[in-house]
Amino acid sequence: MTIISRVALFWVALGILVCYGATRLGLGSVTEPGSGFIFFWSGLILVILSLMVLAEGLRSTEEIVHETRDMNWVKIALVLLSLVLYAFFLERLGFVLTTFVLLCFLLGWIERTNWTRSLGIATAAALGSFAIFELWLKIRLPKGIFGF
Amino acid sequence: MLESLMSLAYGFNIALQPQNLLYCFIGVTMGTLVGVLPGIGPTATIALLLPATFNLNPISAIIMLSGICYGAMYGGSTTSILLNIPGEASSVVTCLDGYQMARKGRAGPALGISAFGSFIAGTVSIFGLILLAPTLADFALKFGPPEYFALMVMGLTVVAYLARKSMAKALMMAVVGIVLGCVGLDPITATPRFTFGMLDLADGIGIAPVVMGLFGIAEVLENLGVLTKAEVFAGKIKGLFPDREDWRRAMGPIARGSLLGFFLGLLPGVGAIVPQFLSYALEKKLSRHPERFGSGEIEGVAAPEACNNAAVGGTFIPLLSLGIPSNAMTAILLGALMIYGLTPGPLLIKNSPDLFWGVIASMYIGNLMLLILNLPLIPMWVSVLKIPYSYLSCFIILFCLIGAYSLNNSTTDIYIAVIFSLVGLLMKKFEFEGAPLVLAFVLGPLLETALRRSLILSDGSFLIFLQRPISAAFILFSVFVLVAPLFSKLRLGRGLSEED
Repeated sequence: MTIISRVALFWVALGILVCYGATRLGLGSVTEPGSGFIFFWSGLILVILSLMVLAEGLRSTEEIVHETRDMNWVKIALVLLSLVLYAFFLERLGFVLTTFVLLCFLLGWIERTNWTRSLGIATAAALGSFAIFELWLKIRLPKGIFGF
Repeated sequence: MLESLMSLAYGFNIALQPQNLLYCFIGVTMGTLVGVLPGIGPTATIALLLPATFNLNPISAIIMLSGICYGAMYGGSTTSILLNIPGEASSVVTCLDGYQMARKGRAGPALGISAFGSFIAGTVSIFGLILLAPTLADFALKFGPPEYFALMVMGLTVVAYLARKSMAKALMMAVVGIVLGCVGLDPITATPRFTFGMLDLADGIGIAPVVMGLFGIAEVLENLGVLTKAEVFAGKIKGLFPDREDWRRAMGPIARGSLLGFFLGLLPGVGAIVPQFLSYALEKKLSRHPERFGSGEIEGVAAPEACNNAAVGGTFIPLLSLGIPSNAMTAILLGALMIYGLTPGPLLIKNSPDLFWGVIASMYIGNLMLLILNLPLIPMWVSVLKIPYSYLSCFIILFCLIGAYSLNNSTTDIYIAVIFSLVGLLMKKFEFEGAPLVLAFVLGPLLETALRRSLILSDGSFLIFLQRPISAAFILFSVFVLVAPLFSKLRLGRGLSEED
């Protein structure tokens, strides 16, 4: 089974889930469509289309996967994790500190910039973006327990 | 006509206010910058700057955001010509002959003709916009829910039809977009739908975090750890002004490109990318020496560059006169209009003439600014490319995070952006396209309301979409677009991907 067929199977499953959720919301009647109406039909179309992609995937043996360059999945996972942590700590520790730590991590660890330069850029970027967004554009950024 | 000119004069009055001039300038400069930089496009940039515009008045905000749209078209050609790297998807074709011209030492005229071509095309499309948008809006006042539903269906099928790989996959993404767009409270009964008990989802999933994830962070993730060092064109660029011979050869292509781009841009779902491929193909067909295309023909630069600029003007027509975006970029602009409390639709021009005419006049001023400022600044834009991508990628992530957070001051939106960045990455990997998803995401709630109202109107009969002539025409066209590829192997999108 090609990868694309498995991806299609995932979408079939998702489509079925959407349809199921839609029936629980209530489809209403054709004269007065209910909350789940659009979800049900979208889910159904999704299932049909995915089955078409699945059929096409089963027929051909060649892999249709975008292989422009090797993706570094470990790094990608690390970055995603760091962004989740960023969201978690943002309102607790405040924008400036959290951003500084995130940028140090991204520049120093992920992009392998040398550490002094990373620290410098991270400091400048955290303070600079705070100045631009909070002070100039008057967008409220989270302050956290330290008040900045 | 006279009325339009009066209104335009009124528009200039607004656009020439110092504050609006400044925001127009910021918009076109940012647009050129992201146009030059590969890896971040106008769609993500508009989304990024969206939070920065909340405290502005809507007119200045839309002036700035539309400046990004057409500014990016100017910037994109610079890298295509000098580096053979399209800064934007809509400048891919310019690489073919533009880079060859640069290699032959004619980088100057190539850059010059694409700037002048863009300017001429921009002017043409603005006049088209002035003439057509109010007329279309008047016409659209007759539209009821069935017509709107049919029109949106047509837009979505056209996007899928133009997909480069699989049409089925593009349609899948459109359907997923509709589902995601409809998450939140039911507009009629206020029942929470697919919110999984989360209060933050009651208002629906925000457009900003979705776009940040799909187009911003995902792009960075894809390039992670891949050292891309751009080979900057070393030679000195001189003679930006094309000579008489260049002009003679380029005038026809510019005129044809402008018209083609404008009229294709009008169609919902088309956008700016496809027209430029078509205009290149057209010039190649018309040329007496088609074999020379790809080796540095000025026609091959002038036509697509004029075309993509004209197309931007074209895409503004359905946006401003019908309230229907035709691609991901205008979809976000529509989102912006709604955030500012304006109701997009046929009444927008009548109810907010200052917005409509002000924005149009600013587009003219913006095009002029781009022409005057950009040519001398090309060396500066090139040096921007020397900033290592590793720094840039960190800043893109940071701006995406701020952009996602600041709309609602909610960390949930950051989680959403992160989730969609992973989704976007997987979509790239498995060749699902993002554009139909975003377009359907914005259209989803409108589509649902139109559908439900139509059915209530018709007492449950789907025939209403075929009984009314305008909606029947839209539906028949959509069906044709869906069915045609089954009978002929030749599909536009496929043809396009072979041109790459």
